[in-house]
Amino acid sequence: MLEIANLSVQAGSFVLSNVSLKVLPSSCHVILGPTGSGKTLLLESVIGLRDPKEGKIVLEHRDITGLPMEKRKLSYVPQDLALFPHMTVRENILYPLKIRGAHQDTETGIVRELIDSLTIRSLLDRRIANLSGGERQRTALVRAILSGGKYLVLDEPLSALHESLKTELRYLLKDLKRRYDLAILMVTHDLEEAFFLGDTISVIMDGKLLQQGEKREVYRRPHSEEVARFLGISNIFRGKIESINDDSLAVRCEGLGVTLALSSQLPKLIVRPNEDVIFGIRSEDVLILTSGEFMSRATNIINGTVIDHFDTGASHVVIASCGSGSKNIEITLHSTAAKELNLAAGQPILVKAPKESLFLIVPPV
Amino acid sequence: MTFRKISIAFSLATFGIYALLILSLFYFFRGETLWDTLRSERTLFSIRLSIVAATISTLLSVLIAIPSAFALSRYDFPGKRAVDTILELPMIVSPAALGAMLLIFFNNPVGLWIQDHGTQFVFTFYGIVLAQFLTVCGVTTRLIKAAMDEIPCRYEAVARTLGASPWRAFVTITLPLSKRGIYAALILSWAKALGEFGATITIAGSMAMKTETLPIAIFMRLSSAEIEGSVILILILVSIGLSILYIVRLISSGASYA
Repeated sequence: MLEIANLSVQAGSFVLSNVSLKVLPSSCHVILGPTGSGKTLLLESVIGLRDPKEGKIVLEHRDITGLPMEKRKLSYVPQDLALFPHMTVRENILYPLKIRGAHQDTETGIVRELIDSLTIRSLLDRRIANLSGGERQRTALVRAILSGGKYLVLDEPLSALHESLKTELRYLLKDLKRRYDLAILMVTHDLEEAFFLGDTISVIMDGKLLQQGEKREVYRRPHSEEVARFLGISNIFRGKIESINDDSLAVRCEGLGVTLALSSQLPKLIVRPNEDVIFGIRSEDVLILTSGEFMSRATNIINGTVIDHFDTGASHVVIASCGSGSKNIEITLHSTAAKELNLAAGQPILVKAPKESLFLIVPPV
Repeated sequence: MTFRKISIAFSLATFGIYALLILSLFYFFRGETLWDTLRSERTLFSIRLSIVAATISTLLSVLIAIPSAFALSRYDFPGKRAVDTILELPMIVSPAALGAMLLIFFNNPVGLWIQDHGTQFVFTFYGIVLAQFLTVCGVTTRLIKAAMDEIPCRYEAVARTLGASPWRAFVTITLPLSKRGIYAALILSWAKALGEFGATITIAGSMAMKTETLPIAIFMRLSSAEIEGSVILILILVSIGLSILYIVRLISSGASYA
């Protein structure tokens, strides 16, 4: 296990403070945050490029905080990949073996296996300048894995690639992790990439670790409005708790009564009646009902009016006003559903916010 | 007249001034003097002395400049700003003043001790090498540092995460990547050392067949009104210098790794 405990790092006036996280063997921990949040600074401290002000880094029960980079056994792939431009692809991938004085043969063992499975055999004698983005990415991954470490540290690994290559490499990373039993610590600002690759996720903003946990938990239960907005949740509302029952709580918001399901992640004891709360729902969890569905789904059905709607290709985004009309709700529909509903601006609709999908935005207990 | 034409006119005018200077040498050019000068033992000695001293001083300065340029490029350390500033000393102090400083140093107790117990520098070949070394070392360091600044530190960081020690990372990554810059620094420093005059004559004097480098020989011939002889020596120096600069251009215009 790679454990980062209470790590604080300073770079000029920017401070990354008190970050603690764990990367379990064979798992992928993603550090998610906007540009300038301190993600790369954290990675650079982990690999030993920067000295932390406080805290420690422990790899498999060994404190590596003060160790030089070459002794940490962490394989690092920076954002620009840093493939050595004066070497060929072959020389690049064999570099860690050359440094270790190990046998350098592209025709045997793991080297051959990696070259073939990442389809770089035809590139072996090429210079780095003559490679495409995807070819560079695959070369950098082979080189990092051949360094022998079981922990890969990746800085925005797919950020420079176009969408189709990103998808291909996401699958490739998953496959490499499983096949070679690798643990990955990576940073990204790409939500899709983070939730696709990560088993656990840490959200960092302005040098502070705001939330971390299993990816479903982070996706479904953001702990602050800041995190919720960064995670792309646009439907965030303020209300007052009216009552708390065994499995739900009633909230009044903009003159409307809304019911939220209480889950194991949200113990009753952290909220009280008459308390002001913030709650939210993902736009893809909001439903637009046809009249036939009305009776069977009676909770949290609100009358609304379509303000605008946008076709984004695979989906359709509808902006609707609800309740007193001072707060809009965003609804993401599948294109086929949107086509069937045949929505138009000004059209009255029934909006359903399933109580299981609504969540309170509260700090953890 | 457009701005483009004006700026090109200025650049051609600059070329014209230097070209005119070189061409004007041919007014005093005599074929028979060329032959006599090239056969002269004293001229051949000056050429040989200049080339040997410039080569040694340049190699010494490159050997020192490579690690110090790396330190200045990669690390923060106490006194870094002072080191960086003092590299400009040979550029802001006239060569004669630099030579005088050397002469004064070798008349101080420390300098005298070095001369008594080590090597004689004043009025010797070693004095020439030292004067040239001091003149070019700052420039060599500055040029190599500029080449190393161009190489992202991440290359070395990645090499180290792949198992390389700082020394292996330097030898296998930084040095090969800054090779072009080091060659250019080496050649330019050599050309500058070859043409060095002020510091050399101050510390080493102008003894024929002993400390008379090519620039000193030119000065000596001019002093004794041997214009035709000076012209030949100047043309030799100009030819060597321009050839060197041409090679530098060739090296720096080659394909980059980026």
